[in-house]
Amino acid sequence: MAGVYDFVPAVALLPFLAFVVSLFAGEYMPKRGAEAGIIATAGSLALSVWTLLTVAGITGPATSFNENLYTWVAGGEGAVTLNFGILVDPLSALMLVIVSLIAFLVHVFSLGYMNDEGETGLPRYYAGLGLFSASMLAFVFSNNLLMAFMFFELVGLCSYLLIGFWFREAAPPSAAKKAFLVTRFGDYFFLIGVVGVFATFGTGLFAPVEGAETLASFPELAEEALAGSAEEAGVNTFGYDPGTWFTILGLLVLGGVVGKSAQFPLHTWLPDAMEGPTPVSALIHAATMVAAGVYLVARMYGFYALSPTALAVIALIGGFTALFAATMGVVKQELKQVLAYSTISQYGYMMLALGAGGYTAAVFHLTTHAVFKALLFLGAGSVIIAMHHEENMWTMGGLRDRMPVTYYTFLSGSLALAGIVPFAGFWSKDEVLFEALIHGLGSEGAIGTLLLVGYAMGLVAVFFTAFYTFRMVFLTFHGEPRTDTARDPEPVRWNVKGPLTVLGIGAATVGFINMVPVAEVTGREIDYLHKWLAHGDISVTTTEHYGELLHTFAGVDPAELGPVAPGAVSLVLALAGVGAAWKLYNVPDPEEHTDKLGGAKTVLMHNYYLDEFQVWLATGVTVPLARAADKFDQGVVDGVVNGISSVSLFGGSRFRRIQSGVVTNYATLMTLSLVLLLVVFVVAGGVV
Amino acid sequence: MAILSEFYLLLSAAVFSIGLYGILTRSNALVFLMSVELMLNAANINLVAFSFHYGNVTGQVFSLFTMALAAAEVAIGIGIVLVLYRNFEDIDVTKAATMRW
Amino acid sequence: MTTRPRLVTDVNYRNGAAAVALFAVMAWTFVTAQFPAPLGFGEGSITATIGYAMFDLLEQVPDGHGETEGFLVAFLVVAVVLDAALDGAVMLARREEDDSVVTALADGGRRALGAGAADESGSDPGDAGSGAAGPDAGDAGTDGGES
Repeated sequence: MAGVYDFVPAVALLPFLAFVVSLFAGEYMPKRGAEAGIIATAGSLALSVWTLLTVAGITGPATSFNENLYTWVAGGEGAVTLNFGILVDPLSALMLVIVSLIAFLVHVFSLGYMNDEGETGLPRYYAGLGLFSASMLAFVFSNNLLMAFMFFELVGLCSYLLIGFWFREAAPPSAAKKAFLVTRFGDYFFLIGVVGVFATFGTGLFAPVEGAETLASFPELAEEALAGSAEEAGVNTFGYDPGTWFTILGLLVLGGVVGKSAQFPLHTWLPDAMEGPTPVSALIHAATMVAAGVYLVARMYGFYALSPTALAVIALIGGFTALFAATMGVVKQELKQVLAYSTISQYGYMMLALGAGGYTAAVFHLTTHAVFKALLFLGAGSVIIAMHHEENMWTMGGLRDRMPVTYYTFLSGSLALAGIVPFAGFWSKDEVLFEALIHGLGSEGAIGTLLLVGYAMGLVAVFFTAFYTFRMVFLTFHGEPRTDTARDPEPVRWNVKGPLTVLGIGAATVGFINMVPVAEVTGREIDYLHKWLAHGDISVTTTEHYGELLHTFAGVDPAELGPVAPGAVSLVLALAGVGAAWKLYNVPDPEEHTDKLGGAKTVLMHNYYLDEFQVWLATGVTVPLARAADKFDQGVVDGVVNGISSVSLFGGSRFRRIQSGVVTNYATLMTLSLVLLLVVFVVAGGVV
Repeated sequence: MAILSEFYLLLSAAVFSIGLYGILTRSNALVFLMSVELMLNAANINLVAFSFHYGNVTGQVFSLFTMALAAAEVAIGIGIVLVLYRNFEDIDVTKAATMRW
Repeated sequence: MTTRPRLVTDVNYRNGAAAVALFAVMAWTFVTAQFPAPLGFGEGSITATIGYAMFDLLEQVPDGHGETEGFLVAFLVVAVVLDAALDGAVMLARREEDDSVVTALADGGRRALGAGAADESGSDPGDAGSGAAGPDAGDAGTDGGES
């Protein structure tokens, strides 16, 4: 059936085409390759919207799609088949729209940030952006784990290329390497997890592929194995109890998620990644790289929902990261650094929601966060243009009157980030916390307690989030200009203001897709996202199904509790944070109150010494270990090899002496050999 | 009473070993040729002995051919010895250590 | 250099031991082996039988004169080989002045290259001991193949 699903691959192929065009022909274009990227991402956006509408049932009858398109390793008997395929369901359709929208806006913004600033190497930049968008989009519609892994890695590669765009300076290449290596460290576990999943289930499909022969997906197989016996489901658990083994697999895959989504303890790459161009930061943080981790968990949520341990780990990591990163964001002086820590913190919220069984809440927060974080980064980019690439907030101030468009859109994003009603972040963050709370209260045993701990951390983080967000706003835009540059900022053009406006409106309104408290109070059915994710043709990827799994296998149940009271609590906390920031920093000449924190400031400025700890891990543990291994390699392994070769060399040098060139000697040898042979025959023949 | 085959074999082994001994111990080309003749004739003894042993004349015919070939071999061999002498003033086989000089 | 026979002194007894060892093994094997009694050829002339066999006249062989088969082709081949050997021997032995194949063999083709060189292909007697290193001094100009 010809329809939009035939064009879904083009969503990723168009940016890929832009990548090729920008790379090879970018030099000859007036905008150095930006045109290709903009046109391609606009096309992707259009196709994504069409897909979304089709999934919604508006433009076509088929509301889901899951097929293998290309088999690149045909498995024989007892071997797995590796496919490229496309899975379009409500989740991926939504994500496609988000990603292509952000990618499109970032491309437009780049015109202002890169072209107008006269940067060199632009074809390389736009090629990187194109490939980045393409790999993320392909990652989103992957229908199996291996394909997802491959594009996951491509995303990591692109982030490396783009963070290190200004490779002639000292810091960006180092930051790029750090980003690449830290995420690679997590991906290493992910790779093992992928292999484990294939070895266990023989398939990596996220959802069953219907056809002449229905191919089961691995979450389904895992479910069957847990419900019945592993042998019946055809699942090889390598001698472990299925539950234990699935937890191990889930945690292995989670390693990649933790690396990519910058969760504790692998978050250290993300603040450094601020060295890249600001539009790239927006793309990385809002829609692509960092989102990939959380999206992966959501994509295979049917698998995680089976394991209470994995859920508890996800929730705890998420809650802890949310609080942990928020506290560090409080003391930072650079605009982008604050935003970086807020990103880590916000993704912590999503992880908390996923761990707590709040699948919808996580997707909701992912959506709203994509919008307002992209907005904040682009706004920061606009400020940075205005400030001639000065990022320290203490050199700004008073920009409100000089760049109103940036200010109001940035304010919209900040309100959303801080979680002030009715901006987007309020609805989603509130729902995250609400889900954590009700599932924590409703679940029996340890997991309930752990979820409550995660909820508590998330709740405290709300205060810090609001505080650092508005500290940033006040320092940047309010008060009196503190430097000459801030007094006379460089104006920005339409290509900066346009994306900001779109996103600013989005940040204010996107939360309306899922106003649960309002729905509860008024009794009207306006929690669209809940309904969007709850149903679908592919029943195993709906929240209805996930709810059953959580109930049956993980023992995670929601308690009966209205959403209004918890929402009010978090709103009060957020307002308290804003108020504190107002009091401390919304003055004509703010001071650095962070000095009052004393020793805590030092710790926070140094990011809890986690970088130092990781460096110590590398130099104090890994290097001696590597050295020992090297010694072993040089001494024992090479020793054996060298020994064998010297033995044969020595033997050869001795043995060649029989090659005298004298026929008589050869004849003697032949004779002796014959004698020996005869004796052997006689002895072996049993004559003696 | 016919002679037992074992003794023919013993004789041929002795003749063969004498020929081999000559080849292994001496370096004179003529002695070489003679030793090779001895070894060939050791083989002939075997042929004739087994021909008698199995009552089949073929072995005897073969030994005749062998003798003929031995004659041919000696004819060529002597020629080579002559050339050798002409080039080295000697017929010591160890002297001619290269194919070309 | 005399041509008088002398007792050799450079006999390599160590190599000879190999031949002795071979004889010992073979002798021991043959002595310990058990053979049935030989069948023999029965009555009649073996020489006649051989003659018939060589000329493929097997129907003329009386019964009981030993088994055999025809060898006419082998006989002819051996005759040709003997003829060739004779020719070869003559060719090798002949001492010729002109550019014959033999001299080309004997001097490595040096004469054919340096046509007209007067020197005969004999080495300097004093140089004989060095074996391979014995090209003529007069031919040094064309000697490209020194070991």
